[in-house]
Amino acid sequence: MLGRFWGYLTTKCQTCSRIRLGLGVALVAVLVAGLLMAAGAAGLAWTNTEKFCIGCHEMRDNVYAEFKDTIHDVNRSGVRATCSDCHVPREPVAMLKRKVAATFELWGHFVTGVIDTKEKFEKHRYELATRVWRRMKETDSLECRNCHKRESMSADLQSEKAQDRHKKADAEGKTCIDCHFGIAHTEPDGPGPQEMKLN
Amino acid sequence: MTHWKAAFFTLAFLGAAAVQAQPKVDEDAAEKLMKKSGCNKCHSLSAKKEGPAYKETAAKYKGKANAEDELYKHLTSNPTIEVDGKKERHDSPKSKKEDEVRNVVRYILTR
Repeated sequence: MLGRFWGYLTTKCQTCSRIRLGLGVALVAVLVAGLLMAAGAAGLAWTNTEKFCIGCHEMRDNVYAEFKDTIHDVNRSGVRATCSDCHVPREPVAMLKRKVAATFELWGHFVTGVIDTKEKFEKHRYELATRVWRRMKETDSLECRNCHKRESMSADLQSEKAQDRHKKADAEGKTCIDCHFGIAHTEPDGPGPQEMKLN
Repeated sequence: MTHWKAAFFTLAFLGAAAVQAQPKVDEDAAEKLMKKSGCNKCHSLSAKKEGPAYKETAAKYKGKANAEDELYKHLTSNPTIEVDGKKERHDSPKSKKEDEVRNVVRYILTR
């Protein structure tokens, strides 16, 4: 079949064959690009799964173990927020930016083993947490807002305490992570997001 | 002199035994219950939040003989507290088991 296609493209008429060759090359290029895009999209979707995230023992034995049984894992409605829901933005550009940044973390996993033991993880816990806090502060807690849409949060349905806290946070220009840190993972010892200075 | 030595070692032994008798803190269990109970919405280990950090609380109770009982009472009796000049009820850990709540108390006191 490929032979016949090739023969058709390289017929004796030089002009015709060039046009056909050009069209053929373009078609193949479009097909390859389409396949690459589909593979890329599938790859991105795969790297967003919980199974992928806890494929590394660094995540499974530390942050994932801490996340188990928290409100984002088990709750009355059964709606879960898995790793990527809180750590990967859904907006295409922000997501690609995050994915590219994440590829650099592979160096630490495969080459330097920077957090490959419990002790090493604890040593770097504060640094890892501050990276997440900083990103969330810079993006107005974009990942939180994947689910918690500001416009859909009904103050009437919140407790009086929550209403007061949210009103105060809005007035002070705070974002979700300023208060809601350490709710899924063990909090590191040190200054929190409210004490962080952004550049 | 020998009697003094014997008394000293007896006291040292009893002291060590008393320390040993203190139930150990199950940190994972305490952190889980605290997350489940929403303690971390207002309190943190050492960072700034609406409520005092656990380290501040530990420092406040340090050296008090009845620290555990006092903090246990505070956590289980829904006392009235003041936040930004407004009075509100302090929530309790979401567990009816005394040993689980006491574990949280000991966790806070040992920060």
